[in-house]
Amino acid sequence: MSDLFVSLTPANLLACLVGTVLGTIVGVLPGLGPAGAMALVLPVTIKLGPTAGLIMLAGIYYGAMYGGSTTSILVNVPGEAASVVTAIDGYRLARRGRAGAALAIAAIASFVAGTVSVVALQVAAPRVARLALAFGPAEYFAFALLGLVLLSNLSGESRPKSLAMVLVGVMLSTVGMDPLGGAVRFTFDVAGAQAGLSFVAVTAGLFGVAEVLAAAARPEPAPAVQGVRFRELYPSREELRRAVPPMLRGTVLGFLIGLVPGPAATIASFVSYGVERRVSRYRHELGTGAIEGVAGPEAANNAAAGGGMIPLLSLGLPFTPSTAVLLSGMLLMNVTPGPFLLRDHPQVFWGVIGSFYVGNVMLLLLNLPLVGLFARVATIPGPWLMPGILILCALAAYADNNNVFDVWVMVGAGVAGYAMRRLGLSPAPLVLGLVLGPLLERSLLQALTIGRGDVRELWASGPAAVMLAAAALALVAPLVGALGRRVRAPA
Amino acid sequence: MATPDRGIALGLGAVALAYLAVARRYPLDTLSAPGPGAFPLATGAALFLVAAWLFVTARPAPGAAAPTPMAVGTWSRVPVLLALALGLHAAALPWLGFIPASFLLVLAAARLMGLSGLWRPLALAAGLALVMRLVFVSGLGVPLP
Repeated sequence: MSDLFVSLTPANLLACLVGTVLGTIVGVLPGLGPAGAMALVLPVTIKLGPTAGLIMLAGIYYGAMYGGSTTSILVNVPGEAASVVTAIDGYRLARRGRAGAALAIAAIASFVAGTVSVVALQVAAPRVARLALAFGPAEYFAFALLGLVLLSNLSGESRPKSLAMVLVGVMLSTVGMDPLGGAVRFTFDVAGAQAGLSFVAVTAGLFGVAEVLAAAARPEPAPAVQGVRFRELYPSREELRRAVPPMLRGTVLGFLIGLVPGPAATIASFVSYGVERRVSRYRHELGTGAIEGVAGPEAANNAAAGGGMIPLLSLGLPFTPSTAVLLSGMLLMNVTPGPFLLRDHPQVFWGVIGSFYVGNVMLLLLNLPLVGLFARVATIPGPWLMPGILILCALAAYADNNNVFDVWVMVGAGVAGYAMRRLGLSPAPLVLGLVLGPLLERSLLQALTIGRGDVRELWASGPAAVMLAAAALALVAPLVGALGRRVRAPA
Repeated sequence: MATPDRGIALGLGAVALAYLAVARRYPLDTLSAPGPGAFPLATGAALFLVAAWLFVTARPAPGAAAPTPMAVGTWSRVPVLLALALGLHAAALPWLGFIPASFLLVLAAARLMGLSGLWRPLALAAGLALVMRLVFVSGLGVPLP
C-alpha cells in the first residue's frame, strides 16, 4: 500500500501531468479518441519505464473524459462520444450565459466521480485479483467469451455487425505463431508477420489514420469558441446544491457500468441522463439547460473509466479499446496484468492507482483556469493538425517493433478503418477481438488438453458454467427476438 | 431489394470462406491435443454463421419502410490520394529515411487537405520534421530508419 506514494516522485508526477494534459487535449479534439492517442504515444511511454509510462497512458485515458466536456459545453461539439449527452444541457447553459458554471460543475463532477471510483478501484482490485487466482483456463475462456459477446450486445450498433467485427479481430489475432505449439499461420511467408500483427499499428491505423482520412473527406470549418473568464467559473449556491444528487447517482452508476464490457463511459453517461429524466426533482428542465444534465453524465463517464480498470488490473482482461491499449503497453513493458500483477509489480499496480488520485487533482486545477486555452485547441484547422497525426501514427507503428512491415499494417488498417466508418461498422469490437483473441485461443486449447478432449471441462466449474450460460443467453436471446419479429411481420 | 447490410454480410461471408480456405492448411489434430488449425476453423465458421445471420436479418420485411441509407457522405478523392501518399511513405521509408519521408508526407497531406500556398505547407512539414527529430531521435533515442 505504501507503494501508492510512488506516484509522487518527480518523474511520475511529470508523467502524470503530461498524460492528463494530452488526455484533455485529446478529449477536446473530436475524432482521435483516447485509445488512438494512447497508441500514438506508446513509443514514448516505453522509454519511460513501466510505472511512469503506464501513469502517462492512464492520464491520457481519464484526462480525455475531462476534456470531452469542454467543447460540448462551449461549442456544442463533443470531443468524445461519452460527452455527447453533456452537450444537450451544457450548451444551452452556455447560451444562457452560464458556461462558466457548467464547466465548473463538469470539472467538479468529474473530480468527485474520478476520486470515488479510484477509492472503489483501490478496494476492489486486490480482492478481485485474489479471487482470480483460483481461475483456470476454462474460467478465463468463459470470461473472455462472455466479455466479447456482451460487448457486441452493448456497443450500440447492429449485434451481428458488432459480433462480426469481434470475430474479424479474433481472426487477425491468429496471424503469426499459434500460442501453444508455435506453428506459424496466415503469414504468407512475410517475415515481418511472424510475430503477429502489431496491436499498436492496427490501433493507430483504425483510430488515427482512419480519422484523418475521414476528416479529409469532409472538411469542416473550425468552430467558434465562446470566451470564458476565470471569475465566471463560479456556480451559484443553488447550482451546486442541485448538482450534488445527480453527481452521486452518476458516480455509482458509472462505476458499476464500467465493470461491464462495452463502451462503458458512453453508456454510463446516457444511462445517467436517462435516470435523471426519471428521478430528478428538476427533470422537467432537462433538455432546456439544467445543471443536472451536466453533473450526472460527467460524473458517470469519469467513474466508468475507474471501473473499467478493475478487469484490466485484476484479471488482465481489457473490455474497452483504451484499456486494451493499456494492456498492450503493459505487455511491451514486460508487465503482465492480472492476478499476479500485485505480487510481481506492486509499484506499478499501486503507482498507477495512486496516479489516479494525483491526476484527478491536476485535472481539476488545470481544467478550470485553462479551460479557454483547451477550448481553443478545438479551433485549430484540420490541415494544420491532421498531417502531424499521420506521422505520429507512422512513428508509433514503426517504433513498436522497428519494422517497416508494421507501417504497412497501419496503412492497411487505416484504409480498412475508413471503409468501416463509411459502412457503419465500429472499430472498437475489432480491436478487443484482436487483443483478447490469443487469450481466448490459449485458454480454450489448454482447457481441452486438461480435460483430455472432453468439452465438458469447459463448464465443469461453477463460475465457468455460469459465465458460459450467460454468454449463450446474451448471444441467443437477440437472435431469437430478431427471428421472432421477422416471423410475426405482416406478409 | 438489396440493402447495404446484405452487401456487408456477403463481404464478411467471403472473408470467412477465404480465411477457412487458408486455415485448412493447418492440422486439426485431436480434441485432447488440438492442432494450430482448430481455433481458426472455429473462428472462420463462426464468422460465416454471423454473416448469414446479418444477411437474413438485413432482408427488409415486405411492406416495411426502406432501410435508412448509410451515412457515407459525399464522395471525395482526397482520402484516396491521402492513402496513396501514406503507401508511398511506407515504401520510401527504407531508402529515404523516416524524417525526410515524413517531411514529404506532411507536405503532401497538408496540400491535399487544403492548406493553401507553398510556404505554409513547407513550414508545417519542416517544423514537424524538426520536432520529430529533436523529440524522438535526439531526446528519446527512438531508432528510426
